Order: sequence, then C-alpha cells, then structure tokens
Amino acid sequence: MNFTDPSNILEWIVYLANEYKFMFLEGLWTTLYIAVIGTFFGFILGYLVGMVQDIKINKQDNIVKRIVMRVVKIVCVVYVEIFRGTPMIVQGMIVYYGMLQADIKISPALAGILVVVLNTGAYMAETVRGGINSVDKGQKEGAWSLGMSPMLTMFRVVLPQAFKNVVPEMVNTFLTNLKMTSVLNVIGVSELFLVAKTAGGTYYKYFEAYLVIAVIYFVICFVLNRLFLLLEKKLAKKKAYTLAVEYMEGTA
Amino acid sequence: MSEKTAAKVISIENLSKSFGDHQVLRKIDFAVAKGEVICIVGSSGSGKSTLLRCINKLEQQTDGKIYFNGKEVEEKQREINEYRSRVGMVFQSFNLFENMTVLKNCMLAVTTVLHESKKEAFERAIKNLKSVGMAPYINAYPSQLSGGQKQRVAIARALCMNPEVLLFDEPTSALDPEMVGDVLNVMKELAHTGLTMIIVTHEMAFARDVSTRTIFMDRGYIVEDAPPHELFYSPKNPRTREFLSRFLKDQTEKTEAVANG
Ligand SMILES: Nc1ncnc2c1ncn2[C@@H]1O[C@H](COP(=O)(O)OP(=O)(O)O)[C@@H](O)[C@H]1O
Ligand SMILES: [Mg+2]
Repeated sequence: MNFTDPSNILEWIVYLANEYKFMFLEGLWTTLYIAVIGTFFGFILGYLVGMVQDIKINKQDNIVKRIVMRVVKIVCVVYVEIFRGTPMIVQGMIVYYGMLQADIKISPALAGILVVVLNTGAYMAETVRGGINSVDKGQKEGAWSLGMSPMLTMFRVVLPQAFKNVVPEMVNTFLTNLKMTSVLNVIGVSELFLVAKTAGGTYYKYFEAYLVIAVIYFVICFVLNRLFLLLEKKLAKKKAYTLAVEYMEGTA
Repeated sequence: MSEKTAAKVISIENLSKSFGDHQVLRKIDFAVAKGEVICIVGSSGSGKSTLLRCINKLEQQTDGKIYFNGKEVEEKQREINEYRSRVGMVFQSFNLFENMTVLKNCMLAVTTVLHESKKEAFERAIKNLKSVGMAPYINAYPSQLSGGQKQRVAIARALCMNPEVLLFDEPTSALDPEMVGDVLNVMKELAHTGLTMIIVTHEMAFARDVSTRTIFMDRGYIVEDAPPHELFYSPKNPRTREFLSRFLKDQTEKTEAVANG
C-alpha cells in the first residue's frame, strides 16, 4: 500500500483523512458544538412552548392577562407549524440571509445554532406537549386539592414525569441534529460536511471524502446512542424499597 | 348569606352545575358543621362526585355559592389554592404522585404550600403515616403499593395539611374487597377524632354506623338529608326507599351467595 501516492479507493480515503485531519477534526468540533448548544437551547425553547400550550386561559383572570396569554399561545402555534412545515435547509438560508439583509452581523456558525434551536424547539414543543398529556389528570387534581398552584403542580409533579417519558425522544432529536447540521454548509458553516466538500474538491475525490465523514458521523452516533441506551436502562430500573423498620412497631 | 351559614364550616347555597345542556346538580343546599361526618349515598350518575368536585373547586359551579367558615369562596386562583389547602380531598383513584416516594408525597405540599420547614413536614408525614399504618413504607413509590396501601397514603397525605374538612369520593370503590376494611377502619378512626368529613360512598353499613348525617342524592337533587338511623330505617321519600331496598336486596343476595359458597 502506498498512502503517500494513493491509487485506489482505500488509499485515497487514508490519504485524505491524513492530509486533512486537522480540518476534519475542526469540522467535527463545529458539528458537535452546534448540535450540542443548538439542541440544548432548543430543548429549553421546546419545553417553554410546550408548557405554554398546556396553560388554560382562566375566565376569571383580568382581560389584559387573558389577551396576552391568547396572543402568546397563537404565536407559539404559528411558530411550531412554520418550523415543522419547512425544511431546515431553507430555514437556514432565510435566517442567514435575512439577518444579512437586515444588517445584523452574524457568523454562519451563530446563524446555524439559531436555526438548530428554532427547529429543535418546534419539534420538542410537540413532544413535550405529548409528554405532559401522558401524565394522568388525576395526579394534577391530587396536587390541586392540596392547594398547590397550577405552576407548582407543573414543575413538581407533571414535568418530572413528562421529562422521563420524553427522554428517548430527546436523545433521538439530538442524534438527528448531529446529522442535520450537515445542511448548514449551505450558509458556509465549516462543519464536517463542508470540510468533506472542500477536501474532496481539491483532488476531485468526492466519494472518498464523503466516505470519511460518513464513518465519522456513524461512529459518533452509534457510540452516543449506545451510551444513552445504557443510561436509560439504568434510570428505568426502580430499586426495591427497603421497609423503614424503625417505624414498624404497632403496625400490621 | 343566612345566619345559619355563618356558623358552619362549609355551606352550599343554591348550587347548580351543568355540563353543556346536561344539568347534573340542581339547586343543592346544605351545610356542614364542625365535627360532622356526612355520608352521601345514591346511585351512580346522580351527581355525587360532581358535588364534591364543586366543593373542592375542581369543577366550577354554574350557579350558587359555596361558603367556607362563613366567607364566600372566590374564583381567584390564589384564594382557591388557599381554600384547598384547608379542605382536603381523597379520590377514588388515589392520585398519588408517581414520581415521589410515600414520604415525599406527604411532605411536598406541606413545604411548598404551607411553607413549613422540612423537619416539621417530616414529622407530620411520619405521624400521619403511622396513624394509617403506612409509616414503614416511606421509601416506597406508589407503583410498588397495593390499592389499599395507596389509599391509606393518600389519606395521610391529605391529613398532613391539617385540613379543617376532608372530602372523600368513593375511597374504597377501586379496591379489592379484602382491602376495603383497612381503609374504612382508618376513616372510622378519623371520624372519632372530630375531623369534619364529607364522604361519598357505596358502603351502606359504614354510612349507617359512622355518619352523623346521611344524604341521599338522586338525579342531581338532595332527596333526603337525615340522621343515618332515620334515613336507613324510616326513609321518608319513596325514592330513598326504593334505592335502599335495592341496596338491601343486593346485600342479602351477596350474603346468600357467600353462605351458599
Ligand atoms: N366532566 C364532565 N363532562 C360531562 N358530563 C359529566 C362530567 N362529569 C360528570 N358528568 C356527568 O354528570 C353526571 C353525574 O356524574 P357524577 O357526579 O360522576 O355522578 P356520581 O358520582 O354520583 O356517580 C353523569 O351523568 C356524568 O355523565
Ligand atoms: Mg362518582
């Protein structure tokens, strides 16, 4: 094998990977941080929007509060529909060029993160809403009957359980985002995909260059997926409780 | 508000409730004095749960007023929370928090609603769990308990708030027969402590022996409201009589079925 003067596919792959290793690493780094930061804030946005959609407008509240709530709810619904109903690649273009036209200086990476956040938020909002609905209404009434406010009930009783139901979907969303960042090359974010495009273009060896990043994407997703599954299993295990023997006297 | 209302813990005046066109409660009037144990009986669909849920503000009445210690319960969320912290409720389906241990279930509202210290909440939890025989299970999650155990925890959780009134909506209807006795015994003991209780139940013997007043409801009306011995042994209203005879027949059949194996 002659890796310095490549002549077949395998040699080319190794050659490209070696020649561009720092660029690939940088691309990987960019991909990872956009996915992580974007997903993280996307989750927060998704939870906020999902919770807003669960709030009931109270007939007894004053008119200002009711109007504000109604408007906020409508904005949320429109936002979710728009971002679920358009491709991320188009969202990326619109956000980036929209910002440019509005004379707002923004780096491609930041625009990329923004797109991931907005996109993730829209999908998560629906998932969170489903998670909230999956917690039975009885527990809410149990909390209310103790004098807990709807907000307190949401944060202490409903959300923790909704969260547990939603975790698998959150993992899924993160892994999807990791792969979806590849579309951000269209606005010039130098993540893995753009690196492969550049590296492949220099020698006109696109197939080999994309194979390199395919392997990287796959390994990262595979490893993370396994890790999350392991974690999930651990979390799902409910330990047998121990009887508090110190309180045993006088009871059956 | 009448003078009578002022002296009562809870009084209900002219309460009506409709779901759309379907009127479920019709001009309900009754008052509960401190220490009374009121059992509400009646066939299913007669509006008993809806009445309790209106009292706890889980449903909003269509018409009429609810007074607590002589003061009208207002429709503001804050006031409702305050009121609910003093009027507890025990549900047919327990409604324990599945994400918390028995101990946490009992402590949560004491710390977050009453703003008591963790120590105080813990002591209250242990005291009340002991009184229902569930203290050894403080580390268990609801999903690890039987129905009867869950219901006893739910009662303890409500008691931790030191409520002035406790509402029960068919607390034993979702239980296996062998668990019913445990829960009824707990409630009987509570009745003897002087706690004001309003209990919707199908356990007629319990209603007869424990209540200070029994109310018979039918089709959204309070048909009869009398001391238990009057209501069970000399009911005035023909509908009460019919309901009780049906119940007595069921009872005899059940006993016979048991006797005949
Ligand atoms: N949320 C609701 N929406 C519509 N109808 C209801 C609702 N809750 C109860 N009802 C109706 O009200 C009637 C009385 O119900 P309920 O109070 O549960 O009776 P009970 O507890 O005496 O069996 C029933 O006909 C029931 O179908
Ligand atoms: Mg009922």
